[in-house]
Order: sequence, then structure tokens, then C-alpha cells
Amino acid sequence: MPTISSPPKERTPGLGGGGPGKIPSRRGYGGGDDGDRRRPEKFLSYQSRLRRYRIGVALFSVCVSMLFLGIASVYVARQRIPYYDQNTQAFMSTWKAIHLPYIQLWLNSLLIVAGSITLELARRGQIKKAEFASMGILPPSLEREVPWLSITLLLGAGFLAGQLLVWNNLRHQGVYLRANASGAFFYTLTGLHAIHLVGGMAVLVYALLGSWLRRRFESQQIAVDATGWYWHFMGFLWFCIFGLLHFSRA
Amino acid sequence: MEELPSITTTVKPRRLLRRYVFSTDHKVVGLQYFFLSLAAALTGTLLSLLMRIHLIWPNLALPFFGTIKPENYLAYLTMHGTLMVFFVLSLVPQSGFGNYFLPLQLGVSEMSFPKLNAAGFWISLLSFLVLLAAFFVPGGAPGAGWTQYPPLSALAASGPGQALGTDLWLVSIGLFCLAAVTGSINFITTTLKLRAPGMSLMRMPLTCWTWFVTAILSLLAFSVLAAAVLLLLLDRNAGTDFFVPAGLIVSGAAVHHAGGSPLLWQHLFWFFGHPEVYIAILPGMGMTSHLLSVFARKPVFGYRAMVGSVVAIGFLGFLVWGHHMFVSGMNPYAAFAFSTLTTAIAVPSAIKTFNWMATLYGGRIRFTTPLLFSVGFVSLFITGGLTGPLLAQPALDVYLHDTYFVVAHFHLIMAMAGLFAVFAATHFWFPKIFGRMMNERLGILHFWITFVGAYAIFVPMHLLGMAGHPRRYSELTGVQYVAAMAPLQKWITIAAVVTIAGQIIFLVNFFWSMFKGAAAPSNPWECSTLEWTLPSPTPHAGFAGRLPVVNHGPYEYGVTGREADYLMQDAEA
Repeated sequence: MPTISSPPKERTPGLGGGGPGKIPSRRGYGGGDDGDRRRPEKFLSYQSRLRRYRIGVALFSVCVSMLFLGIASVYVARQRIPYYDQNTQAFMSTWKAIHLPYIQLWLNSLLIVAGSITLELARRGQIKKAEFASMGILPPSLEREVPWLSITLLLGAGFLAGQLLVWNNLRHQGVYLRANASGAFFYTLTGLHAIHLVGGMAVLVYALLGSWLRRRFESQQIAVDATGWYWHFMGFLWFCIFGLLHFSRA
Repeated sequence: MEELPSITTTVKPRRLLRRYVFSTDHKVVGLQYFFLSLAAALTGTLLSLLMRIHLIWPNLALPFFGTIKPENYLAYLTMHGTLMVFFVLSLVPQSGFGNYFLPLQLGVSEMSFPKLNAAGFWISLLSFLVLLAAFFVPGGAPGAGWTQYPPLSALAASGPGQALGTDLWLVSIGLFCLAAVTGSINFITTTLKLRAPGMSLMRMPLTCWTWFVTAILSLLAFSVLAAAVLLLLLDRNAGTDFFVPAGLIVSGAAVHHAGGSPLLWQHLFWFFGHPEVYIAILPGMGMTSHLLSVFARKPVFGYRAMVGSVVAIGFLGFLVWGHHMFVSGMNPYAAFAFSTLTTAIAVPSAIKTFNWMATLYGGRIRFTTPLLFSVGFVSLFITGGLTGPLLAQPALDVYLHDTYFVVAHFHLIMAMAGLFAVFAATHFWFPKIFGRMMNERLGILHFWITFVGAYAIFVPMHLLGMAGHPRRYSELTGVQYVAAMAPLQKWITIAAVVTIAGQIIFLVNFFWSMFKGAAAPSNPWECSTLEWTLPSPTPHAGFAGRLPVVNHGPYEYGVTGREADYLMQDAEA
């Protein structure tokens, strides 16, 4: 444990910037100590790594949000673009509304929310058990959360299958990527969402297989935790997409 | 002091591939980005040389390239823009120097996500190779400009390079977006969560601030570009109509897309495109602030104002994209709003400029190469920046849009100023990276040639623009008033050839000094930031195991009552 040799001295700030006010103690600011100066985190501690990965997932979620916001803004703007038809000498809209299969979509929404719940259960469960593991009561292993993680993966797969069914439904209506702008946006938005969800599921598979791949237990824990937040974000995004498609369909 | 063993960095990998190629060491990744950018810069410079020569000698048959046909010229200008904006200006200042020095200046031994960092580089390299591949496919490289406006870029039949070449361009840029995002996540997390004890945010060097804000800009902007690229790829390959309007006839055949709008692409692209130019210049601004302080032996004037203006520039940069679209038929009230916001960005930029000058004023200036390049940055930033508010007036922009005036503006403020910041940073940090000093005489000679050359090339270009000379024209002889400006074009080409030739001095200096330069001490410039507490060249382990504790701000220069006139950041309180 590091010790302070003498209490920090108050002194006026130096010339070179660094803000006014108090000069911090040796422990200082700078990530990793939660402001709790008596218990600084080691940079490679589980806690510190977890925090960094959470921030990383949050930033990635911001990135994904911007991606979808870009497409959504094109969607909204595209609806209002008139096309001047030479034959009728009038402005027409080329927007063909599509009929959304609401039952299937709500079922999918249920599946993704259920996935969020089970993954959250897994996440909280493994946090609790990590404490026991660090005390030596339980061996460090993700085994106890495997049921919840597997159920989450199944629910995610169910969601993806449900999305395929929705796509099938649209195909039967004659709505494809081509020649139907509304359809094009539907496929693009839901397809991108599904691809990102698959990415999240891949990380869950990494967590599940982690012991077999001889990954550090901590890394598996962090994977579950980060994916938990990511999955919640994916669920939130799904509802945003659903809402956009519903309210802007005409 | 805490003993903090770092798993990934204390032990240097022994196998060659793991040490120099597939390394997760942030220093190696930074250098990899640097050399990738160097390759891109050389390619881009060659392309610009070909363009300049073609403009004044259109019928000249060059060795290996042959006679440059108009479609070739358009391909060269597209690829020149793409290579320079993406692979040089978005990589070197941020991913090159940032990866190497952000952890060192923050006093830590590694980035937050070392493997993701390395992956980001390899994706960038793949992106570069895919882009270069566009030259070698049937039809060649795309010719729609680095802005790739549809419907030209959306229809494969609309030009020779618009088929496979454009698809490759789009895939390359899509990959680049992914790499940029991974890099940004790393930078932001590292700055927020990995700093040495005592390194508060307001004690970070200004370079770290600009890397941080640039990373935020990258994260937000490149995601939107990814959306645009995806939609354009769908338009080209899946028959969707996001950007292609109805009723088009290309080469006598009707196009079957219907109902999209090219304006949608323009909005998405420029929503990325404007923050992109701030991504290109902000790290350079941070480096300039840093270097001017070191070599004037004075603290940065108004550190907090500098931080505030960097954040303000970053924020305002997202609100002004419409000034690239004044001639698109937008509502004049919207044009007014964009124009006002664009002029507002001049305020934080001016704050920074005055603070740079105030930093130098009254300092005990050491006239080294990095200082000269930093002062050159300020000069070019002012010159290029002054034409910005000019172009921000819709009434003027309607005339000046797509003329050489715009070309002169962005080359001076982004290309030349950014380049000068890169040269300054290279000379400054070379001792830390390679353990040797670059040759000062060659550096000063290189500076003067480049400085005079930059002005000689781009100031006359404003005159071309004001006279109405359009940009992206391959043949100057067909239109009378354009042909009359050929003598000025000739001058610009001569100046360009001389300036480009002068860059050979830099390359010689760089590579020769790597092996034969004078051995560098650990702190040759007497700089106070943390990277200079390490030996030169930086050992693999960096700060691993011996984390510094920061007690001072980053710009404590001009300190009296001590032997040295500066205080290292980790000196005793």
C-alpha cells in the first residue's frame, strides 16, 4: 500500500494552467479512484477494467445511435420528396405505404425485452457471485449464470427468427428493397438492428465459451456486464425503430 | 509510489511479428499509423503533381501514366482528396501522434483497449489497400470527387470509374469509419479513466484536450458517414432509391430508380464532412499551443480559454454543415442560420489565435524547427481562416462555390496548416520516438521552402477563384475566360513542383536521422510534460511499474529561483 510521506501542502497554483483552487493530494484525480482518496483503484483491477469497458460500450452505443439517427433522418426527409411526373404534370409522391405485421412485431418486442430481463438477471447474479469468488467461498466460474445466458441467447435467436418472419410477411405483400422506398427503409433499419444484435450475441457466446477457451474469469464477467448494457440499448433502439416505422409509415 | 504491474506492456514480446507487426503496444500502433499516412501522403502528392502538370500541359504524355484523359484527371482529384483528407489528415495528427503520446502524456502505460487499438490500425490498413485497389480495376478509380455526390456516384453507368471503382471506394470508407470509431472509443475511455494520479483534466497538456475532443467528434461524425455510405451502397447494388431521383436518363437509357434525392446524401455527407475538417485541424491546434509554449518558455496564455474554445469549436462544428450546400437551393432563412453559426465559429478560433500570439509575446523564444513550423501553422491558419467567413456569406458563396477560391481556402487552412503541425510535431517528438535528433539545418531549410511554397501556390489561387475559374475542370483551353488564366495556373504549377521537391529534404532528414542522427537526451527541448521523463527512445514498458504522480500543470515555464527555468509535471509539489 502506498503511503504519503507528508500531508499535502496548500500552495497557490502554478503558472502553467491546472485550474484554480486546491492542489489535490498524491492520490489525485485521474481515473480510477472514484473520488475516494483513501482507496485508490489499481489500474488493472477488475473494477477499473469493468468501468472502462462500460464506458466503451456506452460510447459504442452513442456511435450506433448516430448511425440510426442518420438513417432515420433520411427516412423522414425522403417521405416528403415529391416527384414531378411528366405525364400528369403534377407533383406526386412515390411513397408506397406498407402494412406492418403488428402482431409479429409486438411478439418480437416481447422477446427482446425478455432477453434484457434474463441478461440482467445473469449480470446481477454474477456480480453477487464474484464477491463470493473473491472471498474464496465459490470458485471463479461463470457456470452458475450459464442458464440465464443461454436463455438470453435463445430469446435473441427467437427475436431474429421473428424478424425473418416479418420480412417474409413483407415479401408476401410484394414489398422488397427495390422500387419501394418505405420497404427499403424498413429492411435497412431492421436489418442493421439485427446485425448489431448478432454482434452482441457473439460477445455472449464468448462469455459462455470463455472457460473452455481459457479466458480469464474477469474477462467473461466483463463481457456479460458490458453486453447487458448493450442489450438494453438494443432493446431501446428497437422500440425507437418500431415507433419510427409506425408513426411515419404514411 | 505505487507499483502497478502492467500485464500487457512490462514484458517486451520476443517474436518479431508480435513485436513490430501485430503489436498491441500503443507506441507501435501509433508509428504504424504514421507510416501508413506517409504512404498515403506520398501517393496523394504524386496525384496532385499529375493534376498540376496536366492542367498546364494537357497533351503531355507522361511516362507510365500516358496522356491524362479527363476521366483520369477526375479520378486523380477524387483519390487525392480521399487519401489526403482521410488517410493523412484524419490519421497522423490523431491516430499517429495521439496513439503514441496520449498515454505517455497522461502518465500511463497503455491505452484502455490495446487490442481494439491494434485492430483499428489493421482495419485502416485494409481500408487503404481497398482504396488503392480502385486504381487497378476495370474502369479505374471513381471520378465523382471525394464528396461522391449522387446521382453520379449512385449509377454505375454514369462514368468509367463509377462502377467497381466507386464500390471499392465506398467499402474502403466504410471500413475507415469502423476503424475511426474504434480509435475514438479508445481515446475517450483512456482520457476519462486512465490518467496518472494528480493528472486532473485541467492539468492535461492541450494536446490531450484536442485529442479528446477530436475523438468525440470522430465518434459522432464517422457514424453518420457510415450511414451515408451504407445507403449509397444499397442504392448502387440493391436497387433502392434513397438518393437517385426519378426521370434520369444516362447514356440514352432510362434509369429505373425513382423518387430519391441527392440532397439527402449531401446533408448526411456534410454533417460528417464539416466535423471532419475539425477532426483534421484540432490536434494540430493542440500541438501548436503546446509547442509555442515550450519554445517561448512561457505558459500557454489563457489555458482555460484554450480548453473552452476547443470544446466550443467541436460543438459548433456540428451545427454548420449547411454552408457546404448554399447553392443546393436551400431556404434562404436556413442559409442565414448556417451562415451565422459558421461566422460564430470564428470567435473561438480567434480566441485561440490571439492566445497563441500572446503566448509568444514576451517569451524567450528558442528558434528551433518545431517552433518555426508552429508559427507557420498560426500564419497559415490565419490566412486560410480569413477566407472562411467570406465563404460563409451565402451571397458570396453563390459566386465562389466550386471555384478555385474554395480550393485555396481549404488547402491553406486544412492541408497546409495541418501539414505544418505534423511537421512541427515530427521534429519535436522525433527524439522521443527514435532516440535521435533530426538535423536542424535541413529542418530550417525545409521549413522555408514549404512555407514560401505554400503561400506561392495557394494565394494566387484565390485570384483564380475570384475571376470565376471553376474547380475540377480537366481542360482549361475550351472556355475562353478560363484559358486566359493559364499563366497563373502555370505559376501555381511551378510553385507546386518546387515545394513538392522541397519535401524530399524532409524525407531525407527523417530517414537519415533515424539511423544517423545525433543521439538525443531524454529531454532535449526542456519540456515539462510527462513523456519527457522517460528515456529516449521510449522504452517498451513506458510507465509500467513506475507511475508518475502529477503535482503541477503542464506549462510551468519561466519559473524563477531554480536552476532550470521549468518544472516537470511530476516534480515535487
